[in-house]
Amino acid sequence: MRIQNVLRIALKAIRRNKIRSALTMLGVIIGVASVIAMIALGSGARASIDQQIQSQGTNVIFVSSGSWGRPGGGAVRGGAGTVTTLTLDDAKAVSEVPGVTRISPMVRGRAQVIAGDQNWNTSVEGGNEDYLSIRNWSLVSGENFTARDVLVAEKVCVLGDTVARNVFPDQDPVGQIIRVKNLPFRVLGVLGPKGQGQFGQDQDDLIIAPYTTIQKKLLGITYIQQVYVSASNSDDVERVAVQITRLMRQRHRITNPDEDDFTVRTVEEMAATRVQMANTMTALLMSVASVSLLVGGIGIMNIMLVSVTERTREIGLRMAVGARTRDILRQFLAEAVSLSVVGGAAGIVLGVFVSESLTWRLGWPTLITTGSILVAFAFAGAVGIFFGYYPARKAANLDPIEALRYE
Amino acid sequence: MTTSTEPATPREPLIRIVGLKKSYVLGDVTVHALRGVDVEIASGTFGTVVGASGSGKSTFMNILGLLDRPSGGQYFLEGEDVSGFDRDRRAILRNRKIGFVFQNFNLLPRTSALENVELPLLYNGKAHSAEERHRKALGLLEAVGLGQRAHHTPNQLSGGQQQRVAIARALVNDPEILLADEPTGNLDSRTSVEIMEILQRLNREKGITIILITHEHDIAEYGHRVITFRDGRVVSDQPVANRRAAAAELAALPALEEEEATA
Repeated sequence: MRIQNVLRIALKAIRRNKIRSALTMLGVIIGVASVIAMIALGSGARASIDQQIQSQGTNVIFVSSGSWGRPGGGAVRGGAGTVTTLTLDDAKAVSEVPGVTRISPMVRGRAQVIAGDQNWNTSVEGGNEDYLSIRNWSLVSGENFTARDVLVAEKVCVLGDTVARNVFPDQDPVGQIIRVKNLPFRVLGVLGPKGQGQFGQDQDDLIIAPYTTIQKKLLGITYIQQVYVSASNSDDVERVAVQITRLMRQRHRITNPDEDDFTVRTVEEMAATRVQMANTMTALLMSVASVSLLVGGIGIMNIMLVSVTERTREIGLRMAVGARTRDILRQFLAEAVSLSVVGGAAGIVLGVFVSESLTWRLGWPTLITTGSILVAFAFAGAVGIFFGYYPARKAANLDPIEALRYE
Repeated sequence: MTTSTEPATPREPLIRIVGLKKSYVLGDVTVHALRGVDVEIASGTFGTVVGASGSGKSTFMNILGLLDRPSGGQYFLEGEDVSGFDRDRRAILRNRKIGFVFQNFNLLPRTSALENVELPLLYNGKAHSAEERHRKALGLLEAVGLGQRAHHTPNQLSGGQQQRVAIARALVNDPEILLADEPTGNLDSRTSVEIMEILQRLNREKGITIILITHEHDIAEYGHRVITFRDGRVVSDQPVANRRAAAAELAALPALEEEEATA
């Protein structure tokens, strides 16, 4: 029998029992919708982690000064950043490692900042002129400080969005003076907002100035606390990180890795736990959603078995007028697959709606991909074939004489 | 379709049955429904099969209609031994060579007369367009006097009308044989005569071989020949001496209002 006739008969049978078909489909609709919504939640969580990683900058490696003292050494140990052995020379050496495109030495402190009658406590970061480009951070107004500003330790800065809004609520900060620990800094520019960081912190609550200025005029130190390193491409990050580690050990004459007075970490490493958590959550939610799709499939099987029994006489007649085993098999399989595919299509619509609602009403990040829609649709079709096969087989194997006589 | 391995000789009858046996196992009892039947039926015959319930006539019809397989013996259809055919080969032969008319009509419910008639066309392996199917089915419905009711569903038709739809359906693939199993069993006597008139006309005008199963001897007299079954055997096989003519009987019956009340 030709495929369009098979489909026509299947759709007619589905339309004949509208309420029953709708209820049967509901199982698949809910199953597919939850699969779509769960994939969307999972992808959304991962995408937001990715985006936070991106906000740290692309292909970024952090070289941080470590703690002093040794694990198990018995003596009092300091926290990370308490050693003063990371130097500008280290940073320069790191910049020469193959695969490294740009670096920025970093120093940090906290300070009360004042402008006019406003004041604010914020983080003051010192970097070089490349810092903003390593972090893919653009200015919404004004400009960045220059290499010359870094060289001569000029008292200039750019403001994070939060600081700009709180300290200069009514005016354009560019060109204004902001006092940091009573030192006047000229505001050169204002940064675009980056939002929450990896750990929920406000990334825009900061001031960025040349690290030389911060070292000499604010903190009175000569060492640096961290080096931001940008690798040339993402595949290279791990290799470059290993090379930097090797270089640093060599420079600091360290033979035992336990005695490292620095740490080298990539953004991906820092996010790894969270990515893993998101994946675990997605897998968990997906398995729950799959169970509901499975239940939907059992619903189809159930109703198809009822349908085969009810239509035994019809099957007998079709056989008498020449329907072969495979004609009957196809007819009932087409009916089951139509139920699951139509249900699947409706489920996709519902799933997209649910995902969007989760984002609108609860603010959960969701991401719907074409891939997830195709997977859900294929899954629904497969459920139809899997759960439709047994009833269809049962129908196709009926004995025509007994089927014709069935009351 | 001609898949016959040995071509039919001119002498070969349409149907030749040799030593046909059929037994069923019911629990621990073996029921011998047919105990060795030999019958030949020439093309163009209007044969009737009579016998009491349990005589084996229904089993015989099921095998003749290729719905069932014999336990022993041979069945030659147009010279080809079809007794060993599997399910699907029998289905193909049923579709192309045999039309069925049942006592309880067996129309698909909630499906128009036209679509019921078209049903066998869906399984004949030819790619008919929807228009071709409609044209063919409508032509046959007109031939049985139901052209005006093509879009009625079975529950909008009387018993006689439903049986006429079933006859149209049986004819749609131009079969050689029409098997009618108690076609008038659920009909009143006037409607029965009307159905017999259609069958006699098909046999006379189109040369279709008709085999009709009945337990009413007066219905059997519409055929050329009566085969009587008892206890799984043919006990008599005789031509009908005074064959009834349904058309003449209908003319003689008092005129009834042309439109039958719909059931």
